[in-house]
Amino acid sequence: MREDRYVELFEVVKAYPNPFGQAIKVVDGFDLTMTQGEFISVIGHSGCGKSTVLTMIAGLNEITSGGIVVAGREVVGPGPDRAVVFQAPCLLPWMTAFDNVALGVNQVYPHASKADRAQIVEYSLNVVGLADSMQKYPREMSGGMQQRVGIARAIALKPKMLLLDEPFGRLDSLTRMELQDVILNILNFEKITTMMITHDPDEAVYMSDRICMMTNGPGAKVGEVMEIGFERPRNRAEIMNTAEFYEYRRRLLQFLDECEHEKVERAKKAAG
Amino acid sequence: MTESKKDVIKFKMLKAIDLSGFTVFDPVLRLAFGEDPKKQFGSIVKYIFIPIVFVLTCLWLWSWIAPHHKTKSGEVPTPRDVLNSVSVNDTIADREAIKSQDFLLSGEKRQARLSEVKAQHAALKAEVDRLQAIVQTREKEKADREAAIIAPLSERYEALRSEYREAGKERDRLIAELSEDLAAGRIQKMELTAAIREDGEISDVEREELNALKSEIDEVRSQKYRPLEIARKEYDSMADKLFFLGTRLEFLEDRNLNVRLDEARSRLDGYMADLAAAESAKDALRLAKRAVRAEESVDRLEGQEYASAVTIYHQTKRSIFTVFIGFFMAAFVAIPVGIMCGLNKIFMACMTPIISVFKPVSPVVWLLIFQIVVGAFFPDPETHPLFVTLGSIPFISSLDVNPALIFSACTVAMCAVWPALVNTALGVASIDPDHVNVARVLRLGFWNRLFKIVIPSALPLVFAGLRISLGVGWMVLIAAEALSSSDGLGKFVWDEYQNGSSLTFANIIMVCFVVGIIGFFLDRMMIILQRLVSFDGKGASV
Repeated sequence: MREDRYVELFEVVKAYPNPFGQAIKVVDGFDLTMTQGEFISVIGHSGCGKSTVLTMIAGLNEITSGGIVVAGREVVGPGPDRAVVFQAPCLLPWMTAFDNVALGVNQVYPHASKADRAQIVEYSLNVVGLADSMQKYPREMSGGMQQRVGIARAIALKPKMLLLDEPFGRLDSLTRMELQDVILNILNFEKITTMMITHDPDEAVYMSDRICMMTNGPGAKVGEVMEIGFERPRNRAEIMNTAEFYEYRRRLLQFLDECEHEKVERAKKAAG
Repeated sequence: MTESKKDVIKFKMLKAIDLSGFTVFDPVLRLAFGEDPKKQFGSIVKYIFIPIVFVLTCLWLWSWIAPHHKTKSGEVPTPRDVLNSVSVNDTIADREAIKSQDFLLSGEKRQARLSEVKAQHAALKAEVDRLQAIVQTREKEKADREAAIIAPLSERYEALRSEYREAGKERDRLIAELSEDLAAGRIQKMELTAAIREDGEISDVEREELNALKSEIDEVRSQKYRPLEIARKEYDSMADKLFFLGTRLEFLEDRNLNVRLDEARSRLDGYMADLAAAESAKDALRLAKRAVRAEESVDRLEGQEYASAVTIYHQTKRSIFTVFIGFFMAAFVAIPVGIMCGLNKIFMACMTPIISVFKPVSPVVWLLIFQIVVGAFFPDPETHPLFVTLGSIPFISSLDVNPALIFSACTVAMCAVWPALVNTALGVASIDPDHVNVARVLRLGFWNRLFKIVIPSALPLVFAGLRISLGVGWMVLIAAEALSSSDGLGKFVWDEYQNGSSLTFANIIMVCFVVGIIGFFLDRMMIILQRLVSFDGKGASV
């Protein structure tokens, strides 16, 4: 297992049949390699297939052709080595925060003692700042708190890879910033290889080591990969004050704009 | 903000009201805690006072309309009659309990009770005699009053009748004369027919006049005399009590179990002594046969219980017991099968034809089928181990579990199984795909997935189904009992219908309310259960 090719996506294709039975390739030839402990954001217009790529890595979505290898093992189905934080918190409403996290922990550490498992659960909830709300039910928590439980549930699994599917998409901007820092804080000492799907250029630049910009679908692939040169641990105020931040952001937006332009051109060509 | 203790209590009570679904009482409670009286009064008027007025109006309409409709089972009972039949049934139940006590009393206790009841009986007898005398006086009064009114009327009637009879004879004579005149050719035919026609008309008028007078007399006779009515009512109720005391005396003396046992035993002892002293072989044989028969009758008496008349309470208890047996049988089948249907599409496809065909079948058909099938399992119910065992359990033995109860319960189960099954399948099949994804990512095993994710997420719908099932079961049960003569409220109604006493109709309507109120509470119970298991904290519709 090579550290610099810890995660490898090779010629990944996802095709869905249209109503006439013809295969429509949503993602066509997605190539990407990630080093261990790297944070990559995938950004692109809505409907371009970002989430499709992530669910294929998670194993929740079948790969039509190509291959995905995570930590030296090919992905064939879902598993707790690739923890997912969904856009909706997806907590089980009949369980407390503690039990929601414990459900995964019991599964991953079946031989650990009860006390040890409880310790792991408590630790994870502590890390996301929910030490006081462990026995609360999801309905008693705000959206932000629920998503914190979702994050705790993912990191408690000690995954090889963390998959974040627009994890802050449904939160207000203040909560969103808090949770971005919660995740960065965890990654500072856990060093989990992370892929995040996002819409938000600021978030992508602030959090990532590299940003993978996807072209518009159908037939979406990697358009451009941008290195983000900021040191870790990162400080939001400092980074926001640098000129580089705005340069990265400008390039991102420019790419997205070009994609949009291209799409319009393509549509015109098809029509004319 | 600090919460006072009072606020905490108030909040808890409000929550209990919300949980049980009696939200109409919410403003009453808030008012009791002095919260915004004006608003609460508004709510009370709108949602409690006006509905009460409406219900009272309905009752008033009922009591107004009922007496105007005569049926072959008597007048349609008014709300008052129905209420009266409640107290009558209550009295019957009380009396049965007392009689069964008396039946089993022995020794000094029996003697004490006997003298007590004897004294009561004597006292009441005097009272009844007094009342009877009053009734007789009132009857005489009534007769006198009637005679006073009727005498001139009947005098006039007699006078008129004889007068008209004379007039009629006179007319007949004239007609006879006319007919002779016609034969002699002195008059035209027309004149004779005119005379006959006139005679007919006059006698019609006269007859009508007489009839009117007669019905006036009848009217007077049929008029109710209130003092007599009151006296009769008092007498009837006392006579009823006296009759009851008479029956008690019987149960304390001749029909008492221990008295009869003592008699039988002493008879047996007598025969035994005779047998010991028997000299000839013939005598010995005769006496030995007698002694054996006496022995048998002692044995029979020892096992005897008071044969209580069925009371409404017994029937109600038995119906509730039966419906729960059927309901649990239904739930026991519906939940696992429903879960399998929801989990596995092939299993669902297999079950669909069965569900579709049997769901609409009428309970009556199921009842007949189960009556035959279940009956075959218990050729001799008296000695069957199941009934012997159930008969030895304290509470259940009083309910007389028999094959009729079993097949009624089976019918309930057969009809109640479908809503629970279909809802469970729906609940399991409509599980949130996000939760399925969580299970997939965590690679939960089958049992973990079932108990941690599938069942909890399906529970609200499962209980919604069970609630419908219990409601269906309760309705089916009453019909099944009526049809199969299995003891219960249904049989109570059926017996009333067959007996045709003066209380029949009122009793049937009373049972209608009893069934409705019990059904309401069963439903409430299920709503509360459903709310308790609902993870989202929201309740079912009320």
